[in-house]
Amino acid sequence: MQAATIALALADVRKVFLTRRGQVVTALAGVSLDIARGEVVAVLGPSGCGKSTLLRGLAGLDDGFVGTIDWREAAGGKADRLQSATVFQSDSTLPWMTVDRNLHLGMAGLAIDRATRADRVARYLRLVGLADFRNAYPHELSGGMRQRVAIARALVTEPYLLLMDEPLAALDAQTRLVMQQELLGIWAATRSTVVYVTHDIAEAVALADRVVVMTARPGRIKSIHTVPFGRDRDVIDLRRAPAFRELEALLWKSVAEEVGSTLGGGSGSASGADDEWRGDVARSG
Amino acid sequence: METRALAPVIVDPAAAAAIAGTIAARRRQGRLRIALGIGFPMALFLLWEVLARAGMIDQRFFPAPSRIAAIALETFGDARDRGQLSGDVLATLARLGLGYTVGALVGILAGILMGLYAPVRFALGPMVYATYPTPKLAIFPLLIVIFGIGDASKTALVALGVFFMTCMSTLSGVLYASPIYRDVAQAFRLPAWTRWTRVIIPSALPAIVTGLKLGLGQALILVVSAEFVSSQDGLGHYIWNAWQVLDIPRMFMGLVVVGVIGGVAVLLGDALERRLIPWANH
Repeated sequence: MQAATIALALADVRKVFLTRRGQVVTALAGVSLDIARGEVVAVLGPSGCGKSTLLRGLAGLDDGFVGTIDWREAAGGKADRLQSATVFQSDSTLPWMTVDRNLHLGMAGLAIDRATRADRVARYLRLVGLADFRNAYPHELSGGMRQRVAIARALVTEPYLLLMDEPLAALDAQTRLVMQQELLGIWAATRSTVVYVTHDIAEAVALADRVVVMTARPGRIKSIHTVPFGRDRDVIDLRRAPAFRELEALLWKSVAEEVGSTLGGGSGSASGADDEWRGDVARSG
Repeated sequence: METRALAPVIVDPAAAAAIAGTIAARRRQGRLRIALGIGFPMALFLLWEVLARAGMIDQRFFPAPSRIAAIALETFGDARDRGQLSGDVLATLARLGLGYTVGALVGILAGILMGLYAPVRFALGPMVYATYPTPKLAIFPLLIVIFGIGDASKTALVALGVFFMTCMSTLSGVLYASPIYRDVAQAFRLPAWTRWTRVIIPSALPAIVTGLKLGLGQALILVVSAEFVSSQDGLGHYIWNAWQVLDIPRMFMGLVVVGVIGGVAVLLGDALERRLIPWANH
């Protein structure tokens, strides 16, 4: 990873909200991170730690960020690739369009010809295993298939940075495992640079090259862990490897500390929940 | 991996019997629906007929359905009477068509702009909300002052009623469309035109269609009311005139024609809904 080219450099990225009651809430308190080209970075943290805020900032969805996001690979005015494309947590397919049109929509702003568009749609639909469903409407597909449509829609734009905001969170456990393996295959084929937000610790270890743990709000980077596995992994076999379980336990403890810090010092029920979390850590570790 | 379900193949005889039972029950339900849907109104007509013939209701005001039907056939047989009725129908349809189209277009456009741009909403919102509950017919004299006694004031009344229905409905459709669609448009940096035609308008379409359907009923009420009050032609005038000369069967004929127009409008609205938003029932 040392020799790799930097694709994106974040320097002291901060975000402050003003609530309706006039309170100032710091969502991100200075995040600095270099992301290498082709690297998969998982961002892990307790809910409310600002990990989705960070991702929305990278996606260009919200204003009011302070600090610098230095895109080393920039998409120009008439580009054939998007700067970034996003896969959302909830179903983001557009129900009024067929799968084919959903995919074309993502490319609407790109300067590429019709044949290239059709070619990309065919290629990435095959990659996500939906080649036969090109003319189907989203409501005719299962939740897992719709999420794969959303992934393919991001991929057809061949983004410099692929952003994924808990893309598998809404899926059942079995489908999620299958999709994790598919994501590994897709990233291997596309060599994407990926920022992957998740609260699932095993998923972060299974998919990422590096795992970034964030603190409770105000969110900043607490620790960065390198995952000791190559890109050609098997998510099922991986779970039995001692190194996987060791890192998973380490991350559990790290995240649980942060969850504890948001729950601790409160009412009796909150500290009860805190104990439950710690109990979980003990079992999985 | 997911596969799509094909037609069920049933091998187990007990399961086959259960399915056959379900199918039979559905068929019974379907037959009952049609039988009651037609039969119940027919029973009421029959009651009306019997009461009229028995002299228990006043035949001058409630002529038996059979007599109305006979007079209707007579009217359609006579070229002059037929010409008068069809002329009135066309006059009403012309006012409806133009008023509805103008009202719906302006309403949808205003609703979308108000939903998307806060300053437009701030400027138009209070005015629209304040005038919305006013009975539209109460504004009719004012419209006559502005547009004159002719077709224009009636068309404007229809347009006004349809405007409110479509504007309010479209506005809520845009405001309450799932924010994920706007996030998609933004995250993929869609050009403005694509954003409008492929994301914003379709996401509000279910609400727009609801507004269009509500507007149909409103338009019919307003056009007939306006023709009652001030007109020399149109179905409203036909009905009102028949009442004033106590030609009760003719009055009932007018009512039937208005009912048929309303029914056809509802069917067209449903067809439009299925055509424009095929995904909405899922």
